Amino acid sequence: MSLFKKINAISDNDKVRKAWFGLAVAVFVCLIIVPSIFVVTKLLTEWGVVSDTLGNSEIMSLIYGAVGNSFSIAFIVTIIDIIVGIPMAWIFVRKNFKGKKYLDTLMDMPLAFPTAVLGISVVIFWGVPADGVTIPGLGLVVSPYMMMIMLHIIFTYPYMVRSLSAILEQIEPNYETAAMTLGASRFTAVRTITLPLFRAGLVTGFILCFARSLSETGGTYIALTLMGDETTFFTGPTFIAFMKEMDPSVALGPMIVISVIMIVLALILLLLVKRIMIRIKLPVTKVWPSIGRKLSNGIAPKLKDIVSIGFLMLVVLLPAFYIFAYLTQPILNVDYGQLLSSTGMSFLVAGVAVVFDIIFGIPVALYIARHRHTKMGQLLDNLVNIPLIIPTTALGFSLALFWGSLGTGGIISVILVILGHTSFTYPLVVRNITGAVEEVDPSYEEVAMTLGAKPLQAFSKVLMPIIKSSIIAGAILAFTRSLGETGATIAITSDVNTVPVYITELISSGSYSEAAICSIILILICFVFMFAVRAVTHRGDKSA
Amino acid sequence: MPEIVLKDLTKSYGDTKAADGLSLTVKDGEYICILGPTGAGKTTCLRMICGLTKQDSGEITFDGKPMDKVPISERRTTMLSQVYSLFPPMTVYENVMFSPSIKEWPEEESKQLVKSMIKMVHMDQKVQQYPHELSGGQQQRTALARALASDSKVLLLDEPLRALDARLRLELRKELKSMAKEMGLTSIHVTHDQDEALEMADRIAIIRQGRIVQIGTPMEVFQNPATPFVANFVGRSNIFVGKVGTSDETGTEVILPDGTKVRSRHTDLSEGEDAVVAVKIGSTRIEHIPVPTEEVPNPLMPEGYFEAVIERILYEGATITVEMSSSAIELVTCKLPNRKFDDFSVGDRVMVSWAPDKATLFRIPECGIVEELRLD
Amino acid sequence: MATKIELDGISMKFGDFYAVRNISLKVEEGEYITILGPSGCGKTTLIKVIAGIWRPTEGRVLVDGQDVTDVPIEDRDTGYVFQNIALFPNMDLMENVGYSPRVKDMPKDVTESVSTEYLELVKMLDRAGMFPGELSGGEQQKVAIARALASGSKMLMLDEPLSALDARVRVELRYDIRRLVKKLGITVLHVTHDQEEAMSVSDRIVLMRAGGIHESGSPLEMYREPKSIFAAYFIGETNLLGCTVTDKSRTGKTTVRLRGGKSVKAARSELEEGDAAVISVRPERVYTATEGLKAKVLSVVFMGTYWRVRTVTETKDYVDYNISTDKVTPEIGSKVYLVFNKKATKVFKRPEKGLAEAIRLE
Repeated sequence: MSLFKKINAISDNDKVRKAWFGLAVAVFVCLIIVPSIFVVTKLLTEWGVVSDTLGNSEIMSLIYGAVGNSFSIAFIVTIIDIIVGIPMAWIFVRKNFKGKKYLDTLMDMPLAFPTAVLGISVVIFWGVPADGVTIPGLGLVVSPYMMMIMLHIIFTYPYMVRSLSAILEQIEPNYETAAMTLGASRFTAVRTITLPLFRAGLVTGFILCFARSLSETGGTYIALTLMGDETTFFTGPTFIAFMKEMDPSVALGPMIVISVIMIVLALILLLLVKRIMIRIKLPVTKVWPSIGRKLSNGIAPKLKDIVSIGFLMLVVLLPAFYIFAYLTQPILNVDYGQLLSSTGMSFLVAGVAVVFDIIFGIPVALYIARHRHTKMGQLLDNLVNIPLIIPTTALGFSLALFWGSLGTGGIISVILVILGHTSFTYPLVVRNITGAVEEVDPSYEEVAMTLGAKPLQAFSKVLMPIIKSSIIAGAILAFTRSLGETGATIAITSDVNTVPVYITELISSGSYSEAAICSIILILICFVFMFAVRAVTHRGDKSA
Repeated sequence: MPEIVLKDLTKSYGDTKAADGLSLTVKDGEYICILGPTGAGKTTCLRMICGLTKQDSGEITFDGKPMDKVPISERRTTMLSQVYSLFPPMTVYENVMFSPSIKEWPEEESKQLVKSMIKMVHMDQKVQQYPHELSGGQQQRTALARALASDSKVLLLDEPLRALDARLRLELRKELKSMAKEMGLTSIHVTHDQDEALEMADRIAIIRQGRIVQIGTPMEVFQNPATPFVANFVGRSNIFVGKVGTSDETGTEVILPDGTKVRSRHTDLSEGEDAVVAVKIGSTRIEHIPVPTEEVPNPLMPEGYFEAVIERILYEGATITVEMSSSAIELVTCKLPNRKFDDFSVGDRVMVSWAPDKATLFRIPECGIVEELRLD
Repeated sequence: MATKIELDGISMKFGDFYAVRNISLKVEEGEYITILGPSGCGKTTLIKVIAGIWRPTEGRVLVDGQDVTDVPIEDRDTGYVFQNIALFPNMDLMENVGYSPRVKDMPKDVTESVSTEYLELVKMLDRAGMFPGELSGGEQQKVAIARALASGSKMLMLDEPLSALDARVRVELRYDIRRLVKKLGITVLHVTHDQEEAMSVSDRIVLMRAGGIHESGSPLEMYREPKSIFAAYFIGETNLLGCTVTDKSRTGKTTVRLRGGKSVKAARSELEEGDAAVISVRPERVYTATEGLKAKVLSVVFMGTYWRVRTVTETKDYVDYNISTDKVTPEIGSKVYLVFNKKATKVFKRPEKGLAEAIRLE
């Protein structure tokens, strides 16, 4: 009996399947969940330092201010995303027009930009950047608070539109049509029928955007540095990054306190948001036929579409791509050796993290997808979201504390950074695979088994080819997310020089042009890499 | 080609019982239809046989061998479902080749087998096409070839024709059964369509609320229903309530609420008891009321007849359906051969009757007559 | 009776593909029309155009003589019932049925009395407070019909309303629907692929194929006097046998020769001597006799009200016939002699592309 046959035959054994699943869950819990929230235990073990901090009103007011900024910015950004995201999702799902495919790809591009790059780009587009920046800005936004909102919209907006579109696609379009044949104008039909069915999508979108905004460090920090506000205006993550630079004996207490506050608040939010969203009363009982009619015909719907696309162009895409304006400047001397080595490091970290995500994410994703109605399935589903909603800086700090006994430096630092990146990319991969598996009728695997396939064969020969492209999409998403991450890397160690860290350092030292050129090169490498992956994996995909 | 025995199977999902003491014996090589409304537990029954669902209690044996410990892939049961489940990234050929390649049969032999199966279902022009390029009927044929090429001994069919156009369904009924018979498979076909079951089955098992309520040949089930539900589900029936009257050698008398007397076959029920009467609409006959003539000024209404007025006549092809109202039964329907179409028109007063042995009497069901007759 | 709906040269193009091509049709007020045809023949597209869900590429839709082609869907006042039912899952039955009066801004008590009235009409009033998910498919579809009617519309579009339901429920509901709309005097366009359903509900059947109207007529005409092989095959069951016309009487009665040389008398036709032809005869018009077309019995199937006997003839044709359930059935493998009812044996010109192509379903 060949090895493959043996493995296949073993997969018939219920216990073996359970053991494999148990291993995946154990890895998930021990390497991802526990280290991520380990910092909370420091409340007990380091109580002395913590109580000192709590007693220090000066530091505490900084902490409150930072947390307040983080949550209020995240909230405002998410609300804006919802308002502008709903009509945009409609355009993507229910309309057909030339160039829709390109618009679709364009919208995802900001996700592939390292946030540090976005930070530069946005500030020089909207604001009045510090001396030494050679590109003119609009000079419209001078308050750091407003600037943060403009910045965070860019990398949260695509998430919102994506989750709203996903739900909208599942809502039967016949509901709207039925309402219209009954005399409702399109506006009224959407408001009274589709919107109430939409809450699940709003919840997912809300959590994703809120969490993303809450945890963002790199772009925020760079933007503040460029504006010269990095020591006066804090968000939670930038405060942690700021403290990291200080003497550990001074920094430890405040870092623990703010991390714990951010984590606890984020978790409470995760638990509450579903309940709150389901309860919110939407304005659907009353109808105003004449207003609905006016809003459904003539200029109003066109205006709505134009405003939505205009928003995407002017507020999301243009500021993101503004960094390319640096190409009009004379090219400066860039330290290519340094850039290359940090790029290599970024790819190494992202690559290993993603492979790790896929190997240990698939069993968990399969379980969640096929057992969504069970308690265990729901528990895992919620657990997977945790690393997503914890600010990555707090997560990185927590991780550094957890593995701190291993020491730092050299290879251990790299491993720690990889573990950190695994934590916040893991949910992206798992969620993507879960979504894909749920789309696939379980009867494919079932039929395969009745045709004589062992469970493992049914997975590898039947399910795997069907969900392959979703796994790759999830992997690309996770990969780019990892490439762009600054906060977690900085919080874990200062030894590992990934590209965003390198760019941050360049900005701190005032080498703006060099930072911009490095950013452009990084973006280009990212795109080339993404297209290469897509091209390779799509080859031989005849059936698609 | 095993004999399949299901013994006292139960399976609950929360509060709903998908199987509730389900027992069934399927003979070697038999084509059996499990017929019942949506939610009766039909699919659960199939899934338990092939091992996709595990029963809470009870036993499944193939030729006396318990199947509990046998994994799905070794039961040699194969499923053909209403969604076909052709593997989307594979061609017709690769789909049919799935089982032989998984089981690592000798290559030449497999190729021959696959080719002959594809030919048998008339898909030889489409071997290199992908499932999404095929029409519904072609997908169903491919799925059948894939199932037949798996060396399975039991073919499980889960509403295999549901998603197809009505006309195409009629064509595929014949093909499906003859192929299953040709391969000597034991087949269990689940359906909600009583015409399909009548036409295809060697025996029909009527399932409701997780139990088999009657099993028999199509003719037995149609002509001797075990419950009022079966009487109405397999072919429509006129169903009404009456009191059991006196019996003689030709049958039993039933007295309707308005005093009308009709005839039925013999019954276990005692005189004076309330009973449910069921008569198939195809066995219900109508005649014109004799017109008074000079020779017979007062023609007598013969016994067992009652009067009705025609409200609607629908020409349905080979048959016509006549809907009537009467004082005895609110709405009476009868189905006649189409050649009778010109004999009647709307508003005609007619006499309704049936042969006594075409009417079956039942005890009033405990759950009430409306609940008993619910179709879904 | 007045014309309620008129279609004037309707075409609907998706990309380069004509889903519906140049269709003209008049529907009388109160008429029940079924649009029958196999999947992909354009039947759903056609009623979506009538309801205003799609704007036709060419042609006009007139209701009560008014051109409504450019009137938006919400002002069409056309009741529409979907195959997948599409009751609003977030509302109970009362709110579902009351949706139309509500969005037309009727006062609350009017809305309530309208929903009560229409729920009563489909005998679902006792469940007014339930949500669609709690009902069975058949019950949901009844409520969907009530909802469509509650808009006060005098036209009802039924888009395969019974396809998603159990076979037995389908049968029951189709009679209910016909009874209901006839009582209310509503004009109905009912789309289906099920010829049995079409036969039992409609005043007139419009048989569609490949985007065009293939043939139309009352159920009786379509069954007894089909004008094409496809109609004969699609509506009801029939035996089709290839043959050649050998003789024509002065009154037009045709005699044909089957493949093996056997002669069969058939009904009148337009064909000439020597023409290649196909005869169509319904199973209930085939009888056994002591002499005739020799055939071997292949199977005998119980169909409820009759036995269906399938035979293969000496001419290598398959011929089915029905016998009453009281009669003795022939043994499988035995020989029988078949005769056809002369008048019921229709003669068609043999299609150039072959018989299989002429009756292709998909």
